[in-house]
Amino acid sequence: MVKRFVAFALLLLTTASAAPQQDWIRTGTGLGQEKVRLAVPEFQLAFGATPNSDTLRKVFNDTLWNDLENAGIFDMVSKSFYPLSQPAQPAAVVLDAWSNPPASAGMLAFGNLGVSNDQLTVKGWLYDVKNAASPQVLGKQYSEAATPENARRIAHRFADEIIFRLGGGLPGIAESRIFFISNRSGHKEVWAMDYDGAGQQQLTRLGSIALSPRVSPDGSRVAFTSFAGSSVELAMYSMELGRLVSFPRYGGTNASPAWSPDGTKLAFSSSMRGDPEIFVAEASGASPKRLTAYKGPDISPVFNPKSGAQIAFVSGRTGLPQIYVMDADGANVQRLTDGGYAVSPSWSPNGQFLAFSWNRNYGPGAPGGQDIYIMDVATRQWVQLTRAGNNDSPSWSPDGRHIVFQANRKGGQQIWSMLADGSQQRPLTASGSNTQPNWSWK
Amino acid sequence: MRNADIFFEHEPWKAPLIGSAVLHAAFFGGVLLYAAVIGSLHGESWGGSGSGGDAMSVTLVSRAAVPLPPPSEESQNIVATESKGLSESEKRPPEKAEVALPAHDTAKPEPQRKIVPQKPPPPNQVPFGQGGPVSGPYGVFNANGAKGGLSLTGGGGDFGSRYGWYVDVVRRKVSENWLKYEVDPSISSARRVYITFEITRSGEPTNIQLSQSSGIPSLDQSAVRALQRIDTFGSLPPDYAGSRVAVEFWFDYRR
Repeated sequence: MVKRFVAFALLLLTTASAAPQQDWIRTGTGLGQEKVRLAVPEFQLAFGATPNSDTLRKVFNDTLWNDLENAGIFDMVSKSFYPLSQPAQPAAVVLDAWSNPPASAGMLAFGNLGVSNDQLTVKGWLYDVKNAASPQVLGKQYSEAATPENARRIAHRFADEIIFRLGGGLPGIAESRIFFISNRSGHKEVWAMDYDGAGQQQLTRLGSIALSPRVSPDGSRVAFTSFAGSSVELAMYSMELGRLVSFPRYGGTNASPAWSPDGTKLAFSSSMRGDPEIFVAEASGASPKRLTAYKGPDISPVFNPKSGAQIAFVSGRTGLPQIYVMDADGANVQRLTDGGYAVSPSWSPNGQFLAFSWNRNYGPGAPGGQDIYIMDVATRQWVQLTRAGNNDSPSWSPDGRHIVFQANRKGGQQIWSMLADGSQQRPLTASGSNTQPNWSWK
Repeated sequence: MRNADIFFEHEPWKAPLIGSAVLHAAFFGGVLLYAAVIGSLHGESWGGSGSGGDAMSVTLVSRAAVPLPPPSEESQNIVATESKGLSESEKRPPEKAEVALPAHDTAKPEPQRKIVPQKPPPPNQVPFGQGGPVSGPYGVFNANGAKGGLSLTGGGGDFGSRYGWYVDVVRRKVSENWLKYEVDPSISSARRVYITFEITRSGEPTNIQLSQSSGIPSLDQSAVRALQRIDTFGSLPPDYAGSRVAVEFWFDYRR
């Protein structure tokens, strides 16, 4: 009897202690929201004053500031509001000086860097200055060979860490790439650059015309449209090999490839059977299947990146091109735009919005131009994002907060980027004609 | 002619008529006399030069019906209002009591009283912008007309104070994903909707439940959808020991 009682008591004890200790948060919202006020004092040189250390420090500080400012989720505290003593070590931080006016910062990113034995070492911290008890949110140390490129890379990584923590689990885009078409070499070739326009490099050298580059979800390949042969065909460039890899030729005109989110399928527009229709093939190009069968051209397919179960495309079946959506097997076709001239759909990473280029009053002398719009696919509500020049080829960033597009505002087509609400529009390229940007998947 | 007596019989009405006239004259005369002689003693006549032009000036009182208490005490206050004001005036130091000269040498002099200056109470006002962060339970904040609040109970209980930034992330992310155009456009304001859910170690919201409805289905649904749209809030802080955090989130809708 006693034994049984002891066992019962033990059981009670264990269940009581095994019950999960749970924290409760009670929070809420009205309408509207505010951004994090982030202060980023310049990182100081802690040791190792070599000839290029000042350059590295400047590159690092500039890159970090730009990454955070472009993230779209921070309200950067102007540097003129900073306290006079700027910390380089956690011990030197005076929280009140940052949380009180004029700085009124919510978060503080600071740190130092040093060079020794050609190794650049950066220490960075992120502090919640309104939480005096346990202010540290993040503490990181990076070490790379001391070159300006690595200083940029470290700044990108540290910025991405901050954005990841404070941006609600969405990885930052500072290390993402943008693929585009440029004629700087004399021919339209596929180029790539960092998300902020730095490090532009030419990928293909076909001496012909390349169009509509689309990078694969894992970033290993770039599919594009090539005019190099006797017909317009799809081509595949391997980022790992640094050269073209073989891809079947279908005959007719084949254009505008698009990757499925799992990277196993490729949708494209082909006139191999006469009329330009949407086809889906394996990523290797094998066994193309036709999805659309309407008279009139169907082009520019794009998969829903969230589910992979829908395809948006452009069709001219009713005259001027319009945006349509269908299931990935070709069923359930629905028209989204109600008129005008709508092309270049791009699906947001969360599957909720379509960005596209739309000239709502198409025709000679009609008011308005071609602008970037986004539409909520479920409710068909749309918002106009650009209001200057002619804008085309929008492409979403992997975090869904930015859109890159082409515009002809300062003479010649250039690549621009903006936040997905249309703010912070800025050019990324300056020379030559640069078109058809495509943001990498991560 | 016999009947003529009936028609020619006269009532003696002259005397009552004169009496009535005298009485009327006396009454009106009395009124005029009162107005002219006694009324003038009471002050200005209506619409007189002292009351501002030809019209009567009237002051509208909005809360005339509120029974206000009379002034509590008579005072010699020279300030324009009876209100004592918010700030306490400094108390006058007590005057030195007159010290009577000792009548005899044997009498001890009275010990002189030490005057302790009155200390003003410490100020309770919070200077602008120095209110500091939301701390402790049931903090409430305001931003651009939107309201929010957070509080913590149970368990370890210090998640919100240790990881205030994570709570901010949750609040911002839900706000971002709440599409107000999903709410019935004819609704201009509604009662608060409460949603409870849990955040797993990896940051995913699970077990999303409508804990208190607003009574408006489209608003309830938009709140639930806001949570369903979120894949992750980002993994819980690495040094947090618990495996999950329970959240109660409320939505205030105003158009």
